[in-house]
Amino acid sequence: MTFEAFAGQTLAGVSLGMVWFLIAAGLSIIFGTLKILNLAHGSLYMLGSFCCYQVTVSLAHVAGNFWIGVLVAPIVVALVGGVIEVFLLRPIYKAEMIYQYILTFALVLIIGEACKMIWGVGYHSVQVPWPFQGSIGVFGLSFPSYNFFLIAMGPLVFIGLRTLINKTDLGRNIRAVTENREMANALGTNVPRVYTGVFMLGAWLAGLAGSLWPPVSVVALGSDMAVVIDCFIIVVIGGLGSLAGAFVGAIILGLTTAFGLYLIPKLAVAFGFILMIIILLIRPYGLMGEPE
Amino acid sequence: MSNTFKAFGMMLATAALVAVIGLAPTTVLAEKPPIKIGFIHTMSGPISMYGISSAAGAKVAVDEINAAGGVLGRKLELIVRDDKISPDTGLREAKDLVLKEKVDFLAGTISSGVGLAISNYAKRAKKIYLINIAQSTKITEENFHPYVFRFTTNSTPYFGKGPAIALANTYKSKKIIVLGYDYETGKNSLKEFKDTYLKLVPDAKFIDELWVPLGTTDFTAYIAKMANSGADCFYLAAIYGGGELAFTKQAWSFGLYDKMKAVQPCAGDVETWSKVKQGDPYPKDALATCRYPFWAIKGEKNAEFAKKVREMTDLWPAYGALDAYIIMYAIKDAVTKAGSTDTQKVIKAMENLTMDTFVGKIKMRAFDHQAMMPTWYGIMRFTPDLPFPHITDVGELGEDSYHTIEQIKKIRGK
Repeated sequence: MTFEAFAGQTLAGVSLGMVWFLIAAGLSIIFGTLKILNLAHGSLYMLGSFCCYQVTVSLAHVAGNFWIGVLVAPIVVALVGGVIEVFLLRPIYKAEMIYQYILTFALVLIIGEACKMIWGVGYHSVQVPWPFQGSIGVFGLSFPSYNFFLIAMGPLVFIGLRTLINKTDLGRNIRAVTENREMANALGTNVPRVYTGVFMLGAWLAGLAGSLWPPVSVVALGSDMAVVIDCFIIVVIGGLGSLAGAFVGAIILGLTTAFGLYLIPKLAVAFGFILMIIILLIRPYGLMGEPE
Repeated sequence: MSNTFKAFGMMLATAALVAVIGLAPTTVLAEKPPIKIGFIHTMSGPISMYGISSAAGAKVAVDEINAAGGVLGRKLELIVRDDKISPDTGLREAKDLVLKEKVDFLAGTISSGVGLAISNYAKRAKKIYLINIAQSTKITEENFHPYVFRFTTNSTPYFGKGPAIALANTYKSKKIIVLGYDYETGKNSLKEFKDTYLKLVPDAKFIDELWVPLGTTDFTAYIAKMANSGADCFYLAAIYGGGELAFTKQAWSFGLYDKMKAVQPCAGDVETWSKVKQGDPYPKDALATCRYPFWAIKGEKNAEFAKKVREMTDLWPAYGALDAYIIMYAIKDAVTKAGSTDTQKVIKAMENLTMDTFVGKIKMRAFDHQAMMPTWYGIMRFTPDLPFPHITDVGELGEDSYHTIEQIKKIRGK
């Protein structure tokens, strides 16, 4: 393996991982606090992509329309998330786990069909926005500058979330509810409101990832399931509910995928799962998770 | 009494409506009953451009034929139905057309799934079904029956064998890396491509095969690998539509098109790239196949056809229109030769058909009822003639890009 190849696969792996992290972070935060495994998280991501695409089309002649989309789309997705939490999830917190799976899986179908009704089964494209159209030469390799931007977004969001959770009042409430729901409730924390807030935050992250991705790819149905499996692998290897775990897990999965397909391309599809099996054998609660 | 009166009124209203729409001249002027063609296509939804374009091509031909006196003194009548890209709907429309409208022929559509459903029905109903876009070789190979005919290239010349011949005629690349969707069509396309190419360029090497799960739209890590593989050419195995668009965006930003030659079958057809403007990512200098490069075909008849379709649909003329146009003429020629619309006689006549069209001579191969439609290939570029990237330095592939009869016998024997 030459040095250029090594650098190329590393950058590609990290940029893959950072988009996954944005989605997995939301999934992980929601599980950590609400103890709900949101199967529809990929659908919220896809909804973000479609909303961002819609903004770029509706404001086709406005400069910077993509960036407006990146601002607007995650908010729309967060609002949809809020509605889902208040009207659908809230009544079933006390029910068995299986009902949550059925409900969130139903949401996968509903959101998928809704997107199909609104935007059709075709594929849509969003231009790479200013100022990231070109590519940057590193170690003799030309790498798209938009991918560098995506790589930078990962740590930025990670630090932002850490600060939010560790340094703010909202974060303190989230930690309290996560730690001990009854105690927090007894001490006057408005638990339902924290739940709604956390679910909306998770949905916002999914929407952000969804709106950042289209310039690299296409907006189309099916991206929900394509991404959700990778994100489940990430939160499982990182430790359910752990933000740092999701961050590390995303980088590990991205690099494993990139180097795996370089070395043994025929097994490319299997690397994520192999990685998950190995890590779970060694640490059943994930890299950064805590044994229950 | 009042009911009869109402019915009479309805009849009058209907007659008036028909007259307004302009169908009346055909029915009034034709002394004999028309030859009816049930045309089932995807006329609504996001891929309706294929159906709309095909129906327009068929209509141009029908108008021409009728203006010239029809077929055996009978006019052609086109009845267009929407299959909504669903095999169930397609089948229902086919049944309705055969049983209620008593059509003489069925024609259409885009989806091979819908095509197969209609084809199976055509076999039972003993009606001739003429396919104009659906490409799956299964329809004319494994699932062949005497009532189905195809007037469009199939996946062999389009994805595999054709691109291999084209590459041997042009870039003659020696070190090829493959990226494909991990499913049957992907694997088959590569096999056809590889077998053909290695016969033509024996010292070429296929240095690696990368298979991605079907539906993947993130190719970043694969492209990084391709860029550093030392290959001088890459071949996309059955990555088309949204996947191809996503791949091209990413490959473009990695500068892959400057680093090596590209073979992107089907990039040459106008639907995928017609909205791409100068400055946008596109498969730069890629070798691509195309089923109707209207800009590259000489002759007044072609220009006139392209202009008519463009005016009728506001779409760039695509292969769906061309193939539907040829189907209508095939019906005319076969019925004229057979001297009647008797199905068995028309099948015989159609099997031995050689047509003179504005894209050249087209022969029907009796063995598999596959018309030897040409497939064109060329290098994707922008020119001042058109606002979107299209194939240039166009070459043409003929019968040798299809499966041979021996190959098909082997496939059917399995």
